[in-house]
Parts: sequence; structure tokens; C-alpha cells
Amino acid sequence: MKRGILVLADLKITIGSEVFQNPIWVASGTFGYGTEAPELVDVNRLGAIVTKSITRKPREGNPPPRIVETPSGMINSIGLANIGVKKYIQDMLPIYENLTTKIIVNIAGTDVQEYVEIMEMMESVSSVIAGYEINISCPNVKKGGMEFGVDCDMTAKLTEKLRILTERLLIMKLSPNVSDIVSIGLSAENAGADAVSAINTVVGMSIDAESGSSNIFTTYGGLSGPAIKPVGLAMVHKLYNKLSIPIIGMGGIVNTDDVVEYMMAGSTAVQVGTANYRDPGIGEDIIDSLDSFINQTNRKSATDLIGSVRTLS
Amino acid sequence: MIIERARIKSNCEVAHNIWEMHYEAPNIADSYLGAGQFINILALDDWSHPLRRPMSIASAEDGCISIIYKIFGDVTKILASQKEGETVELMGPLGNTFSNWDNGTYPVLIGGGVGLAPILNLKKECAAKKVDHTMIIGAKSGNEHFIEHEPEENIYLTTDDGTIGDEGTVMEPLKRIIIENKNTYLFACGPEPMLHAVREFALKNNIPAQLSVESYMGCGFGLCQGCVIQRHNYEIRDDSYHQKYSLICLDGPVYEAGDISFG
Ligand SMILES: Cc1cc2nc3c(=O)[nH]c(=O)nc-3n(C[C@H](O)[C@H](O)[C@H](O)COP(=O)(O)O)c2cc1C
Repeated sequence: MKRGILVLADLKITIGSEVFQNPIWVASGTFGYGTEAPELVDVNRLGAIVTKSITRKPREGNPPPRIVETPSGMINSIGLANIGVKKYIQDMLPIYENLTTKIIVNIAGTDVQEYVEIMEMMESVSSVIAGYEINISCPNVKKGGMEFGVDCDMTAKLTEKLRILTERLLIMKLSPNVSDIVSIGLSAENAGADAVSAINTVVGMSIDAESGSSNIFTTYGGLSGPAIKPVGLAMVHKLYNKLSIPIIGMGGIVNTDDVVEYMMAGSTAVQVGTANYRDPGIGEDIIDSLDSFINQTNRKSATDLIGSVRTLS
Repeated sequence: MIIERARIKSNCEVAHNIWEMHYEAPNIADSYLGAGQFINILALDDWSHPLRRPMSIASAEDGCISIIYKIFGDVTKILASQKEGETVELMGPLGNTFSNWDNGTYPVLIGGGVGLAPILNLKKECAAKKVDHTMIIGAKSGNEHFIEHEPEENIYLTTDDGTIGDEGTVMEPLKRIIIENKNTYLFACGPEPMLHAVREFALKNNIPAQLSVESYMGCGFGLCQGCVIQRHNYEIRDDSYHQKYSLICLDGPVYEAGDISFG
């Protein structure tokens, strides 16, 4: 597998005060803490790494089975298994000193207080991290962030509290499992978020006809992969039409066309999730071919793509 | 971990619904550590099936590796349709190996269903090191067996319906063998009910045992946290991490019987 190093087109994008070398990030929960990637991957080529959600205390996660494949997708119910913020600060932050890619720390909690405590702990130490992605939308934890993700007032309140605590990038990650994602996105924007990312996984279920039982311990899980791409595109486009802050798009991205489509729908950057499991180097491949795409289509830079979709009505 | 485009050398049905595939995969074969390790197969390059399928390595020699698989779903059907000369992308070798089978104990190798892949492999490793051993392979019916019942060679087959070898499960010959032999060490791979039975038996009789467990996997190298098994002895705390659940892809697939528990 040949992976180029020379990037010709201007792939740089800007969110808030941060300039990213390219718009290809890896999604939370699909790339560990950014420190476990196999040697065959050069993580420094990525636009950014969004780390696995961390919570105040470590979490074991849900009983098995936690994952199942579905048509063009998968359902997961990991249950936010993670090392907890204390160990994260101790063990992971020092490793980031040696990385040149940007690190976005994903945070999850069960109430406002938990998010605030995590953010305070993170901000009380010096580190090279570029910002935070706030998971207000994990469907797999009882009392999970879900209350925030579906409620405009809670989203606004949480965003406001966190905004006070940090000058770093503050990205609110939105759930597709809501009736109106745009109003939640607007709440985040008005409360001071630098960007929103969308979408987290779509609530799904899988049943084994032969045995008659659910394939996931928690019955429902989060659907991801190509199966949810049309949902992600629509939500990004709706957000783009109403919000003025940047949107980071995701859901089913596996190749450059997917990235181009997400950017045309209005994404400033994108995240590759499930596809990393098949090939943890896929982000690099996409960066190389996005570079060719931009050159071949006579565009000057990746930013020319943002929101450029021609709608027919 | 290596990702390698491998050429299919052969792919044929060796027993009813049970297939054996040989791949030319020199890099993976080269870094292979021993029986128990697995590869993660990308059956189709398109994204209709986003996840790879983990399969135990049944042999690794001369730049080739093999797997033994049973047709039980879309993806294994696709595997069975693949022809010699086609190429597929493999990831591996992944996971740990059976261990301590060569330290003076008497290994009893137990395989059930397609779980016999690493067991056949371990048998070869025992033979190569001249370690005396016995092997028991169980299946539902005679047509699922592709090796011979040869008690004189210490190879015992069992079938649920009695068409070949002992009628019943692998537990029948196992009970005899541990009486006839001293210092036994059990090595098992197969469906969960079989592993469960072997585990109970081993713990009750104080016989050491290693079990290779199977699981759905999202990635196979620790990123997704999808393939967990519960540890047997863990400290119950509300803030533990990887104390209650072990990641099969990184910590396993081979565990000491006493270290894990089946739900
Ligand atoms: C196994 C798995 C674990 C995930 N864990 C997290 C997580 O901890 N925090 C989070 O914000 N999103 C998590 N996600 C959601 C992804 O970041 C992403 O939003 C979603 O999978 C859609 O993108 P994709 O279709 O490219 O995978 C997880 C997804 C998967 C498949």
C-alpha cells in the first residue's frame, strides 16, 4: 500500500483560531486515545485525532455482545468504556507532546457537573491539545448524555458553562436521534461553541431470526458506517443552512467521494469513524486522494468545496 | 500487525458445510507466533460488509496460511464462493497463542465445530516438538468430520448422533483420557457450550486448561473495544477499567480457564 507524503493542493482549513493541515480527522471511539494506532499508520498526517470519550471516572463499559455488523454498517453498544480523566491526564497527555497532529479531546458525562469537572481537570494542567469535542449524544449509556443532546436549553446551559472554562476549541457533537437537530445546533452556537460536529450514531437494533434474540446486550445500540451516510449528509446540510459556525461532518465516510459530498453539504472538516476498524490507515489514503481530487477538478483549495452543493429546488 | 493482499491458493469443502482455504500470505506467515493466533479477513472490498471476519489460523508454513470455516452467514458464503487465484486483504497475525504445552505436561487437545482449526495447528506443533498428546474433535454428525477416528493414534472423534467415533460430546473421551494419563493440560477451542463444559470440568478436577474463545470483532487490534469477555475474578468497583472485561483481540483469544467466565 503506497501512501504519499507530498500534498499539493491547499487542504488547510480553519476552525476558530486553529488551522488544521487538512480536513480529514478520525472520529471519537474509532481511534482510541490516538496513541494505540498500529505502526503502519502515520497519525501525524491526519488533520486531527478526536479521542475516545473520557468520563470523570473510568468505566468498564457494557456486557457483551457489544457490536454486530448490519447491512453496510454496524451497531455498537460499548458503553463508554474508558480510562477516566485522571489516568488520561497522567498517561496520554504527555504522549501528545510528541505528535504533530492536533488532538481534540472528547468528553462525556451524565450531568452538567461531570462535564464541568472533567473540563476543569483538563484545563488545570498544561497540554498541547487543540480543543474539546463534547459528546452530548451517546445513546449507549443509561442516563447518558442523551438528555442534553435532545434538549435545546440543556445544550445551551452546558455549552455556556464549558465556554467559560476554556479558550480552546469547543465543539458540540450532535445526535441525529432528535426531532430538530438545527435548533440544538443553534443553541450551541448562541451559547458560544466554536463548531458543531454531526452526526453521532443512529439508534438501531439487530435481531437474530434463528435464535430469536437481540444481537446487542443493551437491545439498542448506535448504528454507524455507510448505512447512515444519507442521514449525516442531510443533517449537515440543514445545519449549514442555519448556523454560522463551522460544521464537522461525519457518518459513513469511507472514501474521498464521501468527504467531498460531506464538504459540499456544508462540512468544514470531516471525521472518519467505522472505516478505521477495517483499515486504520484509511484516513491517510483519503488525504492523498482528496489532494488529487482538488487538483484535478481545478479547485484552489479544499475550502472551495464547503457548502457548494447545487440543490435542485 | 500486517495488512497483506493474499492470493487464494485453494478453497474447498472438506466436510459437510466446512471449508478449508489456503492463502499465499508470506508476510503474515512470517510473523506468525503459533497456534491460537488469528487473521482478520476482508471478504469483499466493497462496504456492504464493513467489518472484517476473524478466523483462527489453522496452519502457517512456507509462506502460506490456512483457515477452516463453516458456512453460517452471508460472509462465509462469500468466502466459499472465492476461487483460486483471486486475492483478498488479510490483517494479521493477531492475538496470543496457546502456551506451556511443551513444558512436561500431557496436552489434551479438544476441538469442536470449526474450533478445530487452532487445535489441528497445535497438534502439528506438538508433533514437531515430539510432545506426546491426545486430540479429541467433536461434531454434530459424521459428515462434518474430515479427519479419521484413530484411537491407536490418540485421535478421538465424537458425534452427537454417533455416526462416527464416540456418541455424545467431547466430554466422554475426555473423562477417560484424564484417568488414563497423568499430568494432563487441556487446550480447547470450539463453540461456547463446549468451552463452558471443558472449563467446568477442568476447574472441578483441578486440571489446567486453556480456552480459545471466539467473538465478533469490530477491528481486531484494540481500537473499538467491541470484543470483550468477562474475567472470572475481578474486583467489583464502580470505577474499574478492563478489570471486569478483557479485550479478546488484545488479551486473547487464548485464556486460562480460571481467568474468564461465560455469562
Ligand atoms: C464502536 C464505536 C464507538 C464509538 N464511541 C464513541 C465515543 O466514545 N464518543 C463519541 O462521541 N462517539 C463515538 N462513536 C461515534 C463516532 O465517533 C461517529 O460519530 C459515528 O460512528 C459515525 O461515523 P462513522 O459512520 O464514520 O462511524 C463511536 C462509534 C463506534 C462505531
